[in-house]
Amino acid sequence: MKISRSTALAATAALGLSFGLTACGGGSDSAAGGGSDPVKMCVLVADATSSEALGFKDYYTTYIQENFPVEFVYSEEVGDADAEKRAMESFIANNCEAIISFASADRPTQIQMAEDAGIYYAVATGTLSDDQYEEFKDYQYYVGAIGPSLGVEYQAGYDMAKYFVEQGDTRFAIYGAGVPYYIDMHIYRTAGMLAALAEEPSTSYGGATDFGAILGKIMQDGTVKVADFQSDVYELTGYHEVWSFDDAAWQANLAAVVASKPDVILAAGTGFAVFGAAVADTGITIGDIDAYTDENGQAMKEGLVGYLAGKFTSSIGPIFAATYAAVEGHPIRAEGDTALALEQGYWVATSPEQFDAFLAGDTIENPFYGKAELEQFANGDQGYDTFEAFVAAYTYVAD
Amino acid sequence: MHDLTQRTRPGANGTSGPNGTAARRRSPRELVPALAPLLGLVVLTVAFVVVGTVSGVNMSYSVQTLINQSVVIVIIATGAIFIFAMGSFDISLGASTLVAAMVGGLAYNATESLVAMLVACILTAVATSLVSASLAAVFNLPVFVTTVAMLSVLGAVAVALVQTTGGAQIKVDSSFARQYDTLPVKLSVAVAFLALCVFLFTYTRLGRVEKLIGGNPVTARLTGVSMKKTAIAAFAIAGLGVGLGAFLTVLRTPTMTTSSAADIGMNVLVAMVFGGMPISGGPRTRIYAALLGGLSMAVLNQTMTTLLATSSAGNGISQVVRALFFLAVVWVATSGHRSKLLPR
Amino acid sequence: MGAGLMRRATGTLIIPVGAFVVLTALCSLNGVSLFHTDDSLLLLTRGVATTMLTSMALAINLNSGRFDFSLGAMATLSSVVGATVAIQTGGGFAVMALVTIGTGILLGVVSGLVYVLLGISPMVCSLGITLLYEGISFAITGGANVSFLLDRGLTSFAKSTLAMVLVVAVGLVLVYTVFDRTRFGFDYRALITGQAAAVASGTKEKRNAVLTYAVSGALMSVVGLIIASQMGYIEAGKLNFGSIGIMFTAFLPVFIGGYIGRFSNDKLGFLLGALTMTLVGLAFAALSLSSTVQSITNALLLVGFLMFLSNEERIGRAWRSVTHRRGASPSGPAAPTTAATPNKAPVTSGVNAS
Repeated sequence: MKISRSTALAATAALGLSFGLTACGGGSDSAAGGGSDPVKMCVLVADATSSEALGFKDYYTTYIQENFPVEFVYSEEVGDADAEKRAMESFIANNCEAIISFASADRPTQIQMAEDAGIYYAVATGTLSDDQYEEFKDYQYYVGAIGPSLGVEYQAGYDMAKYFVEQGDTRFAIYGAGVPYYIDMHIYRTAGMLAALAEEPSTSYGGATDFGAILGKIMQDGTVKVADFQSDVYELTGYHEVWSFDDAAWQANLAAVVASKPDVILAAGTGFAVFGAAVADTGITIGDIDAYTDENGQAMKEGLVGYLAGKFTSSIGPIFAATYAAVEGHPIRAEGDTALALEQGYWVATSPEQFDAFLAGDTIENPFYGKAELEQFANGDQGYDTFEAFVAAYTYVAD
Repeated sequence: MHDLTQRTRPGANGTSGPNGTAARRRSPRELVPALAPLLGLVVLTVAFVVVGTVSGVNMSYSVQTLINQSVVIVIIATGAIFIFAMGSFDISLGASTLVAAMVGGLAYNATESLVAMLVACILTAVATSLVSASLAAVFNLPVFVTTVAMLSVLGAVAVALVQTTGGAQIKVDSSFARQYDTLPVKLSVAVAFLALCVFLFTYTRLGRVEKLIGGNPVTARLTGVSMKKTAIAAFAIAGLGVGLGAFLTVLRTPTMTTSSAADIGMNVLVAMVFGGMPISGGPRTRIYAALLGGLSMAVLNQTMTTLLATSSAGNGISQVVRALFFLAVVWVATSGHRSKLLPR
Repeated sequence: MGAGLMRRATGTLIIPVGAFVVLTALCSLNGVSLFHTDDSLLLLTRGVATTMLTSMALAINLNSGRFDFSLGAMATLSSVVGATVAIQTGGGFAVMALVTIGTGILLGVVSGLVYVLLGISPMVCSLGITLLYEGISFAITGGANVSFLLDRGLTSFAKSTLAMVLVVAVGLVLVYTVFDRTRFGFDYRALITGQAAAVASGTKEKRNAVLTYAVSGALMSVVGLIIASQMGYIEAGKLNFGSIGIMFTAFLPVFIGGYIGRFSNDKLGFLLGALTMTLVGLAFAALSLSSTVQSITNALLLVGFLMFLSNEERIGRAWRSVTHRRGASPSGPAAPTTAATPNKAPVTSGVNAS
């Protein structure tokens, strides 16, 4: 094929033209959408692929978007503080009216940027540290944070390990997920697991038996070392971390963990996704901290997952309600006109029946936090105390 | 890619040799490809303005964002042109930026001095760059593969640096960083470094020698050019660019984790090529390629975000458009330099 | 003749056998076993299969001076298409395998055509193609993982040692046949050794390049298939060159393959290179090394091996002078190197050789 100058020019021009046309097309579409302009809410995500993240996205873009005059704009997966900043800049340039953040590499910068730009900002599925909260609680545009605190994360890991100990299991493997990347929640969950095992007198990790010291040791090493686990009762048969699927050594270690025949693999996150295919037909159970999804439910039915602590999909409803209320001019503030800082915990299922009950109670069509529940806050009809109780009602009581 | 194959390219002795172009006036046939990257930037800017206006984008903020997002890439890529002009290839630029930024951050935390941070960033980056160059020169290694290995080593060094803090990240006081994370600071660093690069590349022997090595290493060697000295100079300048980029990175993102700056390495590559830099270096190397390409990429990214962010596949489609535009610009930019043989 | 065969056998086997001995020794020093699990054989064969195919995919274009960033993106996109079709049609593994490999070939052809028609540098072309294929994978799935963890029909393939051995055998035989025993292969070699001369004598370079890319796509699609089947899901949301990591795992095996190729055949070299690296991976796991230590070790191995390759001559000379001196000083000229050349005076043989 011969490429002449005119072909080349024509091609560039055509590409530019089609680009311009797409631009105009896209513009007029959005301008024509509905009588009153929907509120443009931008969502910052650090994880765009896990079943949990997809469930959350589904809830916002399907259920909430249908029931409230809002339009959600999602960032691409932001992996570090700079990517977060870039996404925030795009949001601000594109006139987002509020930002809900699932990304935690540098929350202070996000909060500051939103405040400077006069855009409401909220943290979903997480909390600020006490120091950070003190720094930002008076910011006008900082709506607040609703999610599991690091204390809750620790407890989630602790409870899970404790559950299996009480079941009589003694051989454990641990999957630390993002521990080497210093993902706080994974480190706290992992430390919680080890702390639960270390309650048995002969057991210690790196010589430490209490949570704080174990946490310090993991923080220092950026990993868990099997050799540092000492116990006359339990055995730590293996440890695995991160998600390097195309790396031979990573694969070999994954298989080695499975082959070490633990009773249970305690996972700080994404346990079934990583080990699911490998443990099938081995009799090994996975204890996982993940989400209430169909796939995890199926895994529980097949006996591959024996314990699941998970966020339910609509648990991000209240933070939406608070953010929406703020944009509509009815911000919900805590005492002393401060930003929200409310904790959410996990739902724990140890049987398929329990799991199904949770799952059935919170579907995309009929979520636990539905339109009627959220609307009362969105319209400014209810104050902080009611909201606090409303958030605390996450604790699902199966009858 | 002499590194990988150790052969001269068939196009190297083609129509636009180093001697011909400067002497005579360019025909339109040569001008169009030469202007393609600029044309691409113009088209993209028009699209950006049109899309932005129609969608009600906050244009002044958007333009600031463009500069913020492209300045580090432009600086690092401009420095890296000195490496690429010789037909060498460095894939570890992102990782060295991260390590330099981390050392800079640690230096600031130890001294609370902006200057110490700047010096630490530059020294680390230059040292890192020179390690690559020396490994390649002293041990006769292909530069590309040396930098592949450096990529892993630097990644591990970054993990080790983070571990020294006993926490998840290296954090510089954000109110300090904000003070200097301003457009005047960024623009002055960028202008100063670009001016230096333009001067070195256009008005000194270094630039000419580099183009000669990139175009025909055998001839270069025969004319008595010291490959090792030139390589070390090139890597030092690239290191300076990385150091300045790292410095601005700390100011912009004072919280650094092991995954910070992860995409800088490849973005630098794309920016250069987008701006019309031939990947094999040589006589057609243009020092302003990184500037054009870096800006084009940022403008295109902004526009695509405005257009497609609301669709769930938007980020994917946006990347598809970016890929097609990239290929189109490169195609036009190289259209005057084809031989009967396929390029390698 | 016998000495030549011996030299060839030594050159071919020294790296894998040497690695095996060193790694086994390292493991036993640390009180662990290199093959310490029931799954070791499966792990070994699977690691060899993916690494060998990736190395071949990288090498067949690299030999022609074409560097390809898009290997990982091809593996991901082909397996995304294959798995999606298999899940939606309920067609099971056969459908997944056929569609994945078919898509891989198609993606390879598209890469090749873009390169050939646009006439741009292959590395630059592969940058664009990588972005394109990553973007398409993302657009197909909306960025979500394609998951089939509980579908044992799809996941059992990568759990079968026999299947992995077959993949290795078929891959090796096919690539050997295509590149060493066909007209296409002869043209391919002619183009490597003398591009201009080959084209001038009527070799269809463009067709050859497109076919090479097609083979590369096919190989990577099998890698994608194995990884997908093994994990039970595919990460389809990697953008902005997130997919290029797999390529880096193939560098060392490619260089080892090239080295071994000098003594026997480079395809066999890729197999043995892949075997070596998989053994290293098994040793990392057996020794419970952290991922940081692993990546540094891998980097050092790569640099070390390249140093050896680039300075083989010098090292050989130094080695000979050392052995020569050691042989010469205490016990006179009677000692080492004599075995292979009994009729020559040992002193001169050493000097002549250098």
